[in-house]
Amino acid sequence: MNKEIFVELRNVRKVFGEVVALDNVNFSVRKGEIRGLLGENGAGKSTLMNILYGLYKPDKGQIFIEGKEVKIRSPFDSIKLGIGMVHQVSTLVPEFTAVENIMLGTPEDKLTLPIKKESNRIKKMAEDLGFEFPLNVKARELPAGVKQKIEIVRALYRGAKLLILDEPTTSLVEAEFQQLLKSLKMLVKKGVTVIFITHKIREVMDACDSVTVLRRGKVQGTLEREKMSKESLVKLMFMEKEIKVNESALPKVELPEVEKSKEPVCVVKNIEVEASEKTPGLKNVSFEVYGGEIFGIASVSGNGEKELAEAMIKPSILKSGEILINRERVNGLSTLKVFSKGVFYTPEDRIKEGILPDGSIKENVLLGHHAEERFLKRNVFIDWEEVRNVSERVVKDYNVFTPNVEIAIRKLSGGNIQKVIIGRAFVNPIDFLVTHNPTSGLDISTVEFIFEKLVEIRSKGGAILWINEDLDELMILSDRIGVIHKGELKGIFNRDEFDKYKIGLLMIGG
Amino acid sequence: MAEKKDKKVLGPFLRNISVYLIAILLAFSVFSILVGLMGFNIFRALRTLTTTSFKSAFGFQETIKKTIPLIFTTYAFTIPFMIKFFNIGGWGQMLMGGTVATVVGLSLAPLNLPAIALIPLLLISGILAGGLFALIAGYLKAKYDINPIISTIMLNFVAALFVNFIATAPRFKDPLEGHPITIPLPKSATLPFIGGIPSSIIFAILAIIFVYILIKKTRLGYEITAVGYNLFAAQTYGINFAKTIMVTFLIGGALAGLGGALEIMTIHGKLIEGFAKTSGAQYGIFGILTSLIVAGDPIGVPIAAFLMSVLLVGADALQRTMQIPVELVFLSQALIVLFIVVIRKKFSVRR
Amino acid sequence: MEFLNNFVTQTMVYTTVYTLVALGIVIAGRTGIFNVSGEGVMLAAASSGFITAYLTGNWFLGFLIGALTGAAFGLMLAFIHETFKVNQFILGISLVILGGGLSDLIYKIVIGVRLSAPEAPPTPVVRIPVISNIPIISGFFNQDVIVYFMYAATIVAYWFFYKTKIGLETRAIGENPKAADVVGVNVVRRRYLATIIGSALIGVAGAYLPIAITGTYSPDISAGRGFMAIGIAIFASWKPQRAILGGFLFAAIEVISYQLQLISGNIPYQFFLMLPFVSVLIIMMIFRKQVEFPASVGKPYSRE
Repeated sequence: MNKEIFVELRNVRKVFGEVVALDNVNFSVRKGEIRGLLGENGAGKSTLMNILYGLYKPDKGQIFIEGKEVKIRSPFDSIKLGIGMVHQVSTLVPEFTAVENIMLGTPEDKLTLPIKKESNRIKKMAEDLGFEFPLNVKARELPAGVKQKIEIVRALYRGAKLLILDEPTTSLVEAEFQQLLKSLKMLVKKGVTVIFITHKIREVMDACDSVTVLRRGKVQGTLEREKMSKESLVKLMFMEKEIKVNESALPKVELPEVEKSKEPVCVVKNIEVEASEKTPGLKNVSFEVYGGEIFGIASVSGNGEKELAEAMIKPSILKSGEILINRERVNGLSTLKVFSKGVFYTPEDRIKEGILPDGSIKENVLLGHHAEERFLKRNVFIDWEEVRNVSERVVKDYNVFTPNVEIAIRKLSGGNIQKVIIGRAFVNPIDFLVTHNPTSGLDISTVEFIFEKLVEIRSKGGAILWINEDLDELMILSDRIGVIHKGELKGIFNRDEFDKYKIGLLMIGG
Repeated sequence: MAEKKDKKVLGPFLRNISVYLIAILLAFSVFSILVGLMGFNIFRALRTLTTTSFKSAFGFQETIKKTIPLIFTTYAFTIPFMIKFFNIGGWGQMLMGGTVATVVGLSLAPLNLPAIALIPLLLISGILAGGLFALIAGYLKAKYDINPIISTIMLNFVAALFVNFIATAPRFKDPLEGHPITIPLPKSATLPFIGGIPSSIIFAILAIIFVYILIKKTRLGYEITAVGYNLFAAQTYGINFAKTIMVTFLIGGALAGLGGALEIMTIHGKLIEGFAKTSGAQYGIFGILTSLIVAGDPIGVPIAAFLMSVLLVGADALQRTMQIPVELVFLSQALIVLFIVVIRKKFSVRR
Repeated sequence: MEFLNNFVTQTMVYTTVYTLVALGIVIAGRTGIFNVSGEGVMLAAASSGFITAYLTGNWFLGFLIGALTGAAFGLMLAFIHETFKVNQFILGISLVILGGGLSDLIYKIVIGVRLSAPEAPPTPVVRIPVISNIPIISGFFNQDVIVYFMYAATIVAYWFFYKTKIGLETRAIGENPKAADVVGVNVVRRRYLATIIGSALIGVAGAYLPIAITGTYSPDISAGRGFMAIGIAIFASWKPQRAILGGFLFAAIEVISYQLQLISGNIPYQFFLMLPFVSVLIIMMIFRKQVEFPASVGKPYSRE
């Protein structure tokens, strides 16, 4: 491996409003290596790379490529300099095919549309890399793993010498990750340098020649492969030394022995949700969730898990089949009626679906409870006094860091917002919690708090349906894991049968 | 410690006021430049524009006469705007309210009903007419996803034609008038002036109270507010979007319809084509401008409506006494709104 | 046959107005900017264009100024939206009001009140030799130059968006601006260009009304067509080739409503005049399932 420094970022500082995202960061990568950029959620890894790619402007700092200082004002500049980036969330145009997406922005033939010519070039490049994907299918119909391959080819098509991958395993299962590793090693042989952003220690140790650790916007250190170990990396990643962490940098929380209820709290029988061009829907899904258990649902994003969550609280979307809560059929009921049967929900996208951003914490706690007698006067007027009392209790019980319940909830950190969302679920005692990706994008202490809360609910006899994209997390706390692929429940694993590779294979239809 | 607390409260308040002040300053500067270019006395123009409402009892009465319908059309836009929809149909809904009230009043005239029966009947028909007319747009959005900007504007044209139809219909029209106007309503269907001020002001005040209680205190108001904050979260937690759309259009239209009925019953006593206009421009348009000035906040509406009316009275005076076209004031009002909208965004981005 | 000929001829005149405005909205819409200011732009351009044509006696200058007026409004819309992220609808409606106020104001100041309405200079008509004699088809081609301009604009817009890479990139902005940004497409610049060019077309349509159709300016000369064109853009799924079809459809309805008015009989004529407006809504109801929107239209884009 060449010891020459390829890309260097010097004294980079980036502030968002009042938050210092990057504080005097110095970072350099050598030619031909796979460098890991490791840190927990919010450490600043994506921000740093977005600056390098030209999507963000640094408040201070310089960029050097092969020793020469460069100005990168937009992706146009960075692409010209040979930098390519694959983002965590797909940046393909959903309506366009792979060929159209890859052609986008290339400098030649602007006034014509040479689909055939470019298709041939693209096909050849993909074959060279050992990648396979359909050239003429619209991106929105393709699974996440395939889209990622297209985005890698897109970057290389423009002659990228440095490839940045931002959390590439978000939508990949174990088997696909191994495939990706092979491809990266092949790329390095062809002279490409790779920066691999992740928050999972194990991935760094599998894939990277060296790793730089970021914590709260500051570089904590860079380790060569020989010096990498779980302990040394955990130490660099986290400030809280009290948190016990496993090799995926997740909190180690104990799952105590709890007696399951005799009767299932929730029974799902042969449910079907209509497929559309955006989702496979659900086909003939059946399972049960008992009190005192956490039933995890593992799936690659876009396989019907969203529809499952929705069906639980909005059974009107069911085409056939039935859902029973405490032996009672809830099929025709509205969301609020389902809630009244002892159910509540925390959605996947906390900002988009979970909160009223400009609303006060009070107004947010009321959401979902706004039809309950407890909060209404004469069925028409809202009892804001009661809402305030309840909100203050939620803030206290869930350690939400806020001066009062009147301020707009968007001013809270992501972790505190999630705590309010979970606290809201327990304003009234419930039997069944449906929660979807509750820990996504959160810092380690909040993740630990949420894990502990889930265990607490379970210990009190509550039933939890936990739909989660991250299999590592599911394996820590679930009693059983069900796998959804293309809308079907492909299998259920008991805790003693948990095997990351096996479950992952099922998740992609193997 | 106390000083710091004051600064925290004062800060956002000052920021809000300065948005308005800067915008007004900029717009008045443009106004002054144009007035000067046209060769008129700038100070006299500015003075006439802003003080005519307060210099005489007549000026003040005229201002109130304009504020009342303006409050109604402003609410017509504001309520649906709370859930991010644009009801441009305030004018058409006001027209329908006034027209249907007139039709009811003229049709029932032979029965010689007392005021105590007739007035509520006419007001209710105005409310229903405006509300149902707006509901068409609400329903088209809820069921067919038709952009309310298009549907309400199309319906405006339909309403205007309907007014013309009624005002020229052989049954209702006044044969002595050259312009499309109906025969007068029976006296018991009209509302009096009290001290030079139209008694319809009572209903305007009732409307203000109604809107305040609805939005701040009721469950329906909470649902509307929640949808306005975040439609997806509101739907996730059980709020029915389609129902909310239709209700906001219904209420908005009902208020505009009420305003229309009141205009006919108080000011005109008959249906006159063009009654929902001031100085040749629609009350609906000024309602939209007023609403945008207060960023769609239902509480600020009455004051903003009054201040807008001050400018409208000033515009009339300018044209009457200085031959400055009213359009110059309308232009300035549109500029005030543009400046406010931009500056407000600029200030919030910094936060 | 004579009737059909006249019908086509008359309809194409109005088709020009509807289509140019719809094209203007489509072009901007493809980059994600939902331009609802059409009605105001038309009025401002009608006023400024007519006054120019009248005072200079030159039809071309009139249309040029109309186009420039439109471009100015487009520049305002793009600038305020991209720089201050103001909601596109609020901005659009404000510009409608601004344009309307401005149009009457300028006319009052420059022309003032006259006993007889001033007349605009005529716009040259182009007759294509052989086709002029074919019945019905000649109706499409015995038209003034602006109608041909509309044909050309439609063809160019179609070719640009669907037959060039640069058009592909521009469409990408409307679908997913982030996707275009990450491959180096200058989103902001293309939005400015699309909105300005689109608005210029709307300006031409606005000037067309007083210069070529009625011969003189009057308040509210656009009569809601700027808003109906929004319906056309939607119903055309934001495709230039469908915009001209939609324009023709709406123009035909308008022409038919005038004809029906003359033979109205027992039905009050006002209801025939309502026909175009109600038709917009009915057409949108019928075709709503087939409508596609560029996914990001109406939403602002920022990197951070």
